Amino acid sequence: MPAQNVGICAPMRTDPVKELTKVRAGRDVSFFDLYSMDQVSAKDLDLIIALARRFREYRTHKFSLSAGCSLINAFFENSTRTMASFDLSGKHLGMDTTSLSGANSTSKGESYLDTALTLDAYNPKIIVIRARESGVPEMLARHVNASIVNAGDGWHEHPTQGLLDALTILDHFKARDLSGKTVTIVGDILHSRVFGSLVRALKKLKAKVRIAAPQTFLPAGVENFGVKTYYNVEEALTGADVVYALRVQEERGAGGFIPTLREYSKMYGISRKRMNLANKTAILMHPGPVRRDVDVHSALVTVDEQSHITKQVENGMAVRKALIWLLANRMDGKRKEPTRK
Amino acid sequence: MSALLIKNGHVIDPANGIDRQQDIFVRDGKIVEVGKAIRAKADQTIDANGLTVTPGLIDLQVHVREPGREDRETIETASRAALAGGVTSIVAMPNSTPAADNQTVIEFVIKRARDLDLINVYPSGAITTGQQGLKLAEINELKNAGAIAITDDGVDVQNEGLLRRAMEYAKTCGILLMSHCETDDLTREGVMHEGWVSTQLGLPGTPAISEDYAVRKNIMLAQLTGARLHLLHNSSIGATQAIREAKKGGYRNITAEVAVQHFSLTDEECFGYNTNAKMYPPLRSREHVEAIIKGIKDDTFDAFTTDHAPHIEPDKLEPFQHAAFGSIGLETSFAVMNTYLVKKKHISLRKGISKMTTEPAKILGVKKGTLSEGADADIAIFDTGHRWVVDSSKGHSKAKNCIFEGKALVGRAAYTIKGGKVKYSLKA
Ligand SMILES: [Zn+2]
Repeated sequence: MPAQNVGICAPMRTDPVKELTKVRAGRDVSFFDLYSMDQVSAKDLDLIIALARRFREYRTHKFSLSAGCSLINAFFENSTRTMASFDLSGKHLGMDTTSLSGANSTSKGESYLDTALTLDAYNPKIIVIRARESGVPEMLARHVNASIVNAGDGWHEHPTQGLLDALTILDHFKARDLSGKTVTIVGDILHSRVFGSLVRALKKLKAKVRIAAPQTFLPAGVENFGVKTYYNVEEALTGADVVYALRVQEERGAGGFIPTLREYSKMYGISRKRMNLANKTAILMHPGPVRRDVDVHSALVTVDEQSHITKQVENGMAVRKALIWLLANRMDGKRKEPTRK
Repeated sequence: MSALLIKNGHVIDPANGIDRQQDIFVRDGKIVEVGKAIRAKADQTIDANGLTVTPGLIDLQVHVREPGREDRETIETASRAALAGGVTSIVAMPNSTPAADNQTVIEFVIKRARDLDLINVYPSGAITTGQQGLKLAEINELKNAGAIAITDDGVDVQNEGLLRRAMEYAKTCGILLMSHCETDDLTREGVMHEGWVSTQLGLPGTPAISEDYAVRKNIMLAQLTGARLHLLHNSSIGATQAIREAKKGGYRNITAEVAVQHFSLTDEECFGYNTNAKMYPPLRSREHVEAIIKGIKDDTFDAFTTDHAPHIEPDKLEPFQHAAFGSIGLETSFAVMNTYLVKKKHISLRKGISKMTTEPAKILGVKKGTLSEGADADIAIFDTGHRWVVDSSKGHSKAKNCIFEGKALVGRAAYTIKGGKVKYSLKA
């Protein structure tokens, strides 16, 4: 269901700060930087999701929870949607935010590291990084004092996407975990940072995971994630509880991996007919931006009631607010110690 | 001139089948006598009791970076690093700037090494001009200038027709051809071994068959042409099988080596996007490492090398995908061999020493790697029980990009002697 447009000035029944503080109960996450879902413990996940649900209720409510703290979006790879989500999330928490796209001065020969060190000297609490190359957030996290949040690195991960996907799926099934549920992921697994975080999150939540793609889109040893691979999408979809379509990452060189988008769409595109193979209560997800009629057939994207694609976007804001608050305002007073290795 | 007496060391000289406590007497740069309780007047005496005395190590694959990239390494700093590792002879790879595809570079390297008088530096020449893989270099001129072998190491000759001609011509000139085996079309943008680790890291991988295929191709072309072929830095199951088959089939014209990191470490070193673990061929998975060790045990592999590849820090502080390939290793190669092969009981110390002395000397056809009476007094004295943690900031190489950084190793050069002179001692 699309988000209801509740007036932002609607009076709050209770004091949101009090409520959030109660949910948080003095807890902290176990990590100082977030570059991989591997860092997120079951406890961390519970905490982030619990807070995100609260933040979601308060919609665009403006807090001062992180007032006085700065957040810098350093997007070495251009993006608008994710950057806007982080930026607004920070602003809703009362932070000073600034965003740089195409952030490193590579044309001037400056390295990622030097750019990050410069930004770190502005003393932000959080630097959100997106990069074309895998591992950039993890590498930079070792060198800067700010908490690094990975907003997508190469073919590796996009952990806040994993978190928002987890929230979306858990909400749909009103469950604490996904044992007994089958999630089918379809598409360009190899080049997908979304898959990297999603699969790790799903396995933490005990879901059964199937993936369907041509072999050219399957990375080596992918079954070690604990997933079952299929070439035949119909087989993979039969009886699924969640259908997760990924984008064909043409911009990451996926072009040579399939003959044409036309053929791909015929073989793997999620159509109404294919969606019907999944369970009746199944939902359709996609990290966006959707390539209509390639990844997912157009009518399914927004109109179909099984589609949770806009819900994912909304949940993205909520988990980001939760995460930013947890990282920027630690209750335990601990500080990140860069290792500089 | 000068005389040196090494007393009571455990002498391992595989060339002469010696593996027992002996004294060694050296005069005027040559070994005069190896025996029990030698009584001779010496200017200097080393008490090697409890230490292991071997021929100086020979490393078939070292990137000295001079001429052209003296910011990374020079012949002098590479030589000092070699001495600290017990290495007294190296083959310098031709991928300098300019490439060693002409007499001038070969002559320069020889002269520089001679002036320094630290270790023996044997320059290798390029197979093709500029290592471009398009046109044969003047191989005979390179040989006459002093090149010990030809290789396009750092890259591989992709055109099979040209490689065939290169082998035929190398045979004509009587020079060894050394191949870096890689198939460009399969390697593409690969930056590490393709497998479960690359998948977890989201990094583009290189399948092992990129190497397997090139090794097979090289062996077939060597069989066709009769060239003397040495296969550099083998790292895969398929390469091991191909070489084993060729040798079992009685083919005598090929030799093969393993860089020490490929029998000691796996691709898991890449976790954390550790750019020191980025090298070519890449560190591979456990199964490959096990196959390599098996190949060492059954002598599929003749020699151990370092593929010493120095880089400046900024080139390794890049994202993994952009960082430079390679690790330094001259100071650690003996210790790595001792720690990962001898201490783990895969092979004897004598066999390990043989693959770092006698065998590489045979491959090059030089009168080195032995403690025979009359031989050049290039000698290493190791403390095989010395435990240490690698700290490249204390090393002698200009570069610090060492994959063994922070690792605990056992065994270290205590003294290194070249031409009868003590050029390095750990205590000094
Ligand atoms: Zn090479």
